[in-house]
Amino acid sequence: MDKEKILKDLENIVGKDFVSNKAEDLYIYSQDPGASLPRPVDFVVMPSTVGEIQNLVRSANEHKIPLVPLGGGLTLSGLVIPVKGGIVVDMKRMNKIIEINELSKYALIESGVTSGQLLSHLNENFPNLQPPVPDAPPSATIAGNVLIHGSGYLSQKYGDHGAMINGLEVVLPDGKVCKLGSCAVSKFWFARGPIPDLIGLFISSFGTMGIITKLSIQLFDKPKFREVVFGLLNDPKDIPNILLKITETGLAEDVLLGKQDKPDWMKGYVFVIAYVTGESQEEIDSHIKSFKRVYRKAKARYMKTPDRIRTAYLEKPIFAATAADFRKGGGFEYVGANMPLENIPEAYKRGAEISKKYGIIPTLGSRLIGGTHNIVMFFSYSFNRADPKDMENARNALHETNKLALELGGIPWKAELVGQQLILEKMDPNYKKLYNTIRSTLDPNRIMNPGNWEVNK
Amino acid sequence: MWLIYGIISGEIPWSQGLANVIYACSTCGNCIENCRFEKFNDFLVDMIEAARVEAVNSGFCPERQKALLERTINPEKYNPYDEPNSDNEHLKKKYNLPDEAEWVYFIGCTSNYRQKNLRDATLRFLKKANINFTLIDEHCCCSPIIRTGQISPVKDFINYNITQINNTGAKKVITSCAGCYRTLKKDWIKFGADYGFEIYHTVELVKELLDEEKLKFKSEYNKILTYHDPCHIGRHMGLYEVPRDVYKQIPGINFVEMKRNKENAWCCGAGGGVKIGYPDWALEISKERLEEAKETGATVISSVCPFCRTNLQDSNDKFNINLEVIDLIEILDGLDFEITEKS
Ligand SMILES: Cc1cc2nc3c(=O)[nH]c(=O)nc-3n(C[C@H](O)[C@H](O)[C@H](O)COP(=O)(O)OP(=O)(O)OC[C@H]3O[C@@H](n4cnc5c(N)ncnc54)[C@H](O)[C@@H]3O)c2cc1C
Ligand code: SF4
Ligand code: SF4
Repeated sequence: MDKEKILKDLENIVGKDFVSNKAEDLYIYSQDPGASLPRPVDFVVMPSTVGEIQNLVRSANEHKIPLVPLGGGLTLSGLVIPVKGGIVVDMKRMNKIIEINELSKYALIESGVTSGQLLSHLNENFPNLQPPVPDAPPSATIAGNVLIHGSGYLSQKYGDHGAMINGLEVVLPDGKVCKLGSCAVSKFWFARGPIPDLIGLFISSFGTMGIITKLSIQLFDKPKFREVVFGLLNDPKDIPNILLKITETGLAEDVLLGKQDKPDWMKGYVFVIAYVTGESQEEIDSHIKSFKRVYRKAKARYMKTPDRIRTAYLEKPIFAATAADFRKGGGFEYVGANMPLENIPEAYKRGAEISKKYGIIPTLGSRLIGGTHNIVMFFSYSFNRADPKDMENARNALHETNKLALELGGIPWKAELVGQQLILEKMDPNYKKLYNTIRSTLDPNRIMNPGNWEVNK
Repeated sequence: MWLIYGIISGEIPWSQGLANVIYACSTCGNCIENCRFEKFNDFLVDMIEAARVEAVNSGFCPERQKALLERTINPEKYNPYDEPNSDNEHLKKKYNLPDEAEWVYFIGCTSNYRQKNLRDATLRFLKKANINFTLIDEHCCCSPIIRTGQISPVKDFINYNITQINNTGAKKVITSCAGCYRTLKKDWIKFGADYGFEIYHTVELVKELLDEEKLKFKSEYNKILTYHDPCHIGRHMGLYEVPRDVYKQIPGINFVEMKRNKENAWCCGAGGGVKIGYPDWALEISKERLEEAKETGATVISSVCPFCRTNLQDSNDKFNINLEVIDLIEILDGLDFEITEKS
């Protein structure tokens, strides 16, 4: 690899100011805030146009050097740390909000637009609309989130964020620009079909299929009133029942569960955290009444929420990071696993056992995705970043949790490299073959984030 | 923060490039406001300044910042602007100021060597307001060298200035500079100073005079004006409402707020040694602020800091933004007002 020549080419493509191979810049891109070990990076670039990205892809093919697209870099599972070195393509400069369509209710944005940016743009200019955003820090990009099957406070009602993609513009591994979704046919980015749906190829494939440059994402009406209704369950065994009862009402916006030993007030219970929305306070009050009834019938105790907690939970998105770093060591990673409802009680039980085994305070949670169709389960592990042993301990706990999730019929979400391999081991061989064939056809030189989803022959 | 951690843990060695990253921060404090981790967020800027001290100790202080220190400790200068030290005797004579007084006006290097109009406006205002004040032969307050991690001579400078102030018998020190204000009030204490005088910014004095109904405006200021919060007065010292109160009491003024204001105000880009170290970037940052000011429909952007004034003006000129940049005290200087002892 002629690094001098590559540097020259990159400088020609994005301009000298937006390419770096300096140690201090590469240091940042060689790691993420999770428990993964750092891995070396050769270059970082910050393109600003689709044309520049096409040229980057062509150049990477010529030099046979990997490209790793990066949004906010906040998955925590090392997905944007190159596995085989190469060029990190930081998308932050492609941050234009191109269109908000109030009738068909979508936002057409460049892929560097962050969740905070879209949220404040809507709050200021379209206060009746809300975007699907995760509870991640606001520097997470919408693209990075939807491309990993992200989820958030609208997911119970409307499904995961990947399902809310109306269309993509993508630079394929050969440098061609391709539009997917209704925008492939129409000037409106309003729907995904009705044409063969190829968008799924780009979701949870972790940048192995191309670089997304634009996307259209669904927006939703913002309710005038929102309230959080807390319930306390003693026994995780009763979780499926209460969730079914809650979803039956059709009244819940978001539904979260939490079981953790810290902060102290949470110890010993499964917290049921359901949100109701409405157009008036009377409507809210009546919903709360219904929920009190549901809770009672489902063996849960309604909990009147202290103001401090209520305020924190009513902030949308919730600022999850403060809860995550209660140990103040600056390190936090979780196994998120999509799970079937039937095994959630077992997941709580065994998840807590894993935490205890590794000496980590049990911190478990879940969020409903599209009713009880799919439950994202969070097994969180905090650690001290300054202590390599503590980090290794967390990695071991994460690994064991991935195995547990698979054993219980779930699938680890945004899985790190070892997790991906665990999933692949269990995967239908013909699924793997199909995936690999498509990938090799699109990307014969394997320049797109190689090392991820690597199917070993 | 990751880089600072990398330095501490030895994962990344000092280099000129690394130092440039650490020195590109204007110490504006916006991260402190926006970081959600209580207790940790309070120290973000301190950590950056501590990293700069490390850079200096490791021999990686950028050249332009080094020159700042050399000029400041030069016994002919004692200021970062490479000007011969002014002992301010000519000003004392011109304004007929005593040797001993109740107040000392600590002019600050930027006002004394670069924004003389602001200095003179302050002197005239204090005179008109019948404040019993004087000047000292001041040496730099040390804001620039503290912000850039070059702290070895700081204690000497502080001691010198405090002695000078004490020699006048003053019980109050007033400054027209946001940087001096923060430095005297916060940093001097941090460096162990134990002084018996109170620190005022001119805007606080004006507010006091207005509150006590001692200052009455006799003319109007008929302009649309927006206020730029200097980081070192706003986020660093929490003075948001005092200046706003004063502007709003000026008759005729149409006071408008920029989109980002108070805790969330966008920095002018000059602080923390950025103007000297990375002048083009400082102007880019100011440009964003000026454009935001334009969006409000204001024709005037005003502040209470000579350093903001300089950088905003430079950027206004460079990018032809066509705003009027002016300090509060200069506005007051242009107005008629009456000072009465309230009965
Ligand atoms: C405290 C905390 C709370 C969180 N809470 C949630 C939550 O509630 N819900 C949730 O869903 N997630 C959550 N997350 C996980 C994660 O931060 C988010 O999903 C986030 O939105 C990911 O976006 P990102 O911009 O950081 O993506 P990145 O990490 O930058 O990228 C994610 C993946 O997408 C690929 N990618 C990024 N941009 C492109 C592109 N333009 N083209 C092709 N591929 C691309 C990357 O290569 C990578 O594989 C949380 C994380 C933290 C730290
Ligand atoms: S420039 Fe301001 S926001 Fe940025 S690091 Fe420095 S103090 Fe914090
Ligand atoms: S929230 Fe605080 S700790 Fe987190 S990235 Fe921002 S400044 Fe850093």
